[in-house]
Amino acid sequence: MESHTTETLLRWIVLVPLFAAAVGGILNRRLPKKVAGLLACGAVGVSFALSVTVFLRLTRMPAAERFVSDTMGTWIGFGNLQIDLGFSMDPLSGVMALVVTGVGFLIHIYSLGYMAHDEGFSRFFAYMNLFIFAMMTLVLGENLLMLFVGWEGVGLCSYLLISFWFNDEANAAAGKKAFIVNRIGDFGFLLGIFLIGTTLLPHLADGEGLFSFRTLQHHAGIMAPVATAICLLLFLGATGKSAQIPLYIWLPDAMAGPTPVSALIHAATMVTAGVYMVARMNFLFVLSPTAMTVVAAVGVVTAVFAATIALTQNDIKKVLAYSTVSQLGYMMLACGVGAFGIAIFHVMTHAFFKALLFLGSGSVIHAMSNEQDMRVMGGLKKKLPITYWTFLVGTLALAGIFPFAGFFSKDEILWKTFSSDLGGVLPWALGFLAAGLTAFYMMRLVVLTFYGENRASAEVKSHIHESPATMTMPLVILAVLSLVGGWIGWPHFMGGGAWFEQWLAPVFSSGHGAVAQGAVAHGAAEAVHDTTMEWILAGASLAWGLIGLGVGYFVYQKKISIATSLRNLGGGLPHKILLNKYYVDEAYEGTFIRPGYLLSKNILWKIVDAGLIDGLLVNGSALVVAITGSVLRLFQNGMVRFYAWSFTIGVTVFVLYLSFSG
Amino acid sequence: MEGILFWVFGSMMFFGGLMMVVQRSAVVSAVWLIFAFVSAAGIFALLSAPFLAVMQILVYSGAIMVLFLFVIMMLQGPVLEGDRKRLALPLWPAVAVPPLAIVVMIVGYVMRNGLTGMGGPAPEGFGSPEHVAGLLLGKYLLAFELISIVLLVAIIGALAVGKDERKLPWK
Amino acid sequence: MEITLTHYLLLAMAIFLTGMVGFIVRRNAIVMLMCVELMLSSVNIVFAAYSRFHGNADGHVFVLMNFAVAAAEAAIGLAILVEIFRRRRTVNVDDLKALME
Repeated sequence: MESHTTETLLRWIVLVPLFAAAVGGILNRRLPKKVAGLLACGAVGVSFALSVTVFLRLTRMPAAERFVSDTMGTWIGFGNLQIDLGFSMDPLSGVMALVVTGVGFLIHIYSLGYMAHDEGFSRFFAYMNLFIFAMMTLVLGENLLMLFVGWEGVGLCSYLLISFWFNDEANAAAGKKAFIVNRIGDFGFLLGIFLIGTTLLPHLADGEGLFSFRTLQHHAGIMAPVATAICLLLFLGATGKSAQIPLYIWLPDAMAGPTPVSALIHAATMVTAGVYMVARMNFLFVLSPTAMTVVAAVGVVTAVFAATIALTQNDIKKVLAYSTVSQLGYMMLACGVGAFGIAIFHVMTHAFFKALLFLGSGSVIHAMSNEQDMRVMGGLKKKLPITYWTFLVGTLALAGIFPFAGFFSKDEILWKTFSSDLGGVLPWALGFLAAGLTAFYMMRLVVLTFYGENRASAEVKSHIHESPATMTMPLVILAVLSLVGGWIGWPHFMGGGAWFEQWLAPVFSSGHGAVAQGAVAHGAAEAVHDTTMEWILAGASLAWGLIGLGVGYFVYQKKISIATSLRNLGGGLPHKILLNKYYVDEAYEGTFIRPGYLLSKNILWKIVDAGLIDGLLVNGSALVVAITGSVLRLFQNGMVRFYAWSFTIGVTVFVLYLSFSG
Repeated sequence: MEGILFWVFGSMMFFGGLMMVVQRSAVVSAVWLIFAFVSAAGIFALLSAPFLAVMQILVYSGAIMVLFLFVIMMLQGPVLEGDRKRLALPLWPAVAVPPLAIVVMIVGYVMRNGLTGMGGPAPEGFGSPEHVAGLLLGKYLLAFELISIVLLVAIIGALAVGKDERKLPWK
Repeated sequence: MEITLTHYLLLAMAIFLTGMVGFIVRRNAIVMLMCVELMLSSVNIVFAAYSRFHGNADGHVFVLMNFAVAAAEAAIGLAILVEIFRRRRTVNVDDLKALME
């Protein structure tokens, strides 16, 4: 039943960061750093507190009615077309809100220390707050268009923050790449929205918001015939925002931005927006098994693909970036097999440990005087103890080691992939493979960075120091969360209550789409009778993760010659391909960018713009006027006799007219 | 009788006009025009407009043409000589087109519709000074008065334009 | 043959056209004014002819008006001409091109 409980605090969750961003942005350098930092962190803190408040309210409500909304007014009201400007929170958006504002708050605190010496301190925090505003609009929006507004807003903030140090052209180029690639995805997203709109509009009752999620869910059946098309289009947008194949290319480049940005936007929150969107629109996706298969396939292939690239990267942030792409693939895989709740679970745990890892790497980079190449790191374990231990926790969580958070979410994903009717052994095997690779490359990273002897120059070595409290405190908090954060999803077969899945269940059960629901339920039903398989798979995952860690440690700490011979394997070609990211960027450059550029330059610019529009239309019309003028000027030659002759012509014409009309 | 006279006076007038146009000297043109006007008077007479015939001679050839001759004499030199360059206009065809068009049109019309007769002799006293005077001072009194104002304006205008600032005694 | 209205009209037309062509052809301003007078004269003939045709002497009145107007116009035209001649020493209209664009 659809309840309409109003909660006016919702709008402030979104608007407080906006105000803070506006103030910080306008006052900019006139604002003392302390004040700017306080303002920004305070704003996000307020958002977090309000999110908690509303969330608690939700918990006190009966499960089937957990929905509060806050409508600020009508955005578009045009006959049958009704779109509101409003926010809503249900279990799904509640979880997202807490994650975004909570982790966001910690990262803001961290940034106080990290950006302390930067010129653009206030600008940074203004942009960060703007991002929180946009992300909250995305998460709390009560209709698909609000979500899209937030979607575009986070894309903008991502651009602003990636190219934060814009004086370096490479950074600006990275920002542009992110924005443009995202736009390509957004094109698909928009087409999907339009398709929904045209399909649904004739069937709406009076006053029903067209894109409101409740309306969409209610009328899902009407969209069933075009569900595949809509879902594929929407998913295209998701591949852009959540960095899946084929639009993931911007994420590694986005590491050009400051590390807190990488942590917040490109690990914990923005990139998960695609997953959130798919989960939000689950009632539509389940109507199309084709779309679900595509989602799962793209997810799992991306997971393996990105993991292989991460094996060879030398930049610490690039390894983490590809790791993020890979983990996002897992989330998409979960969605694709119908386990939306588990996907969101992994969003949450991933936010914890990935933010932790990025912030930790930021601490390392800060200590190494902005050096990011792992080949000149090493031995930082003693010099940066807090950073090291928290980083280790993050690694264990990412590798999926019990009892850290990543174990529970990743294991559940693999189980659901194996057991769901939409999954199977093959996707499971690929996901399993990627998990092993993940453990391996993370251990490689840890060894190269923290163990052994420091390989940096004496100059850099002398400056190595542990980070200030503003930076280490969030690390510790996130480490704790990476440990205990997964316990909320302690699965049934291990004796827990799977509370997280339960919390989200009402959102993902709709009357329609029996296919996927049935797939998961069916698979789960089978499993209920026999938890043996689950234990086996869980054990295998754990063992595999430990093996991955062990092998990584062994190779890079003890016998580096194995790594060297692996690198030279096959004439060094496989290594080269992986190091160069399978030359995908180059392929895109050749297939799309260069032809596009040439087309634009030679045809659109030279022919259409300069020739046609400038030449024909602009200059041409002026030329026509000029010619007409010079022709008409001949009549003004001052020659009296010519004028007289003109009179006679006129008279003749007049007489002719009279005689023939009379 | 009328027929012959018509052809005589008509051709005289036409010939006079033609000669006026083709003369090089302005004075000779003026004289030919006088000739044309006198023939016009004859045509008026044929049309039972005796008063008009006399007025034609008095006003046109007696006043207007005299004025022209005065001016020609006053301006002397280049005017008397007439056009120094040859009497030509570039683009002869262009100039000829309108007149030819009109001629073709009207002649064609006439050939299609035939001639319209005069319809009987003129009434008694038609065109006599008494008749015309009666109209002028009766029906067209306003026009008569207005035309005198027109003439007044013309006089003043001619004086204003034509006066020569150099020759005024009190300047 | 009987002289019809049409005859007079055709005559007037011929004279009018002569004057018209002369106006375009001649360069001497005084002669151009004389051509104007010729054209006005031809119109007078038309009026008189029609007046005779209708038996209505109103046409004669207009002819008188025409005389007056022609006279006035000739007077002022010649005055202007004289003034121009004083300033520019020419009555050749081809030389009077000040209004050229």
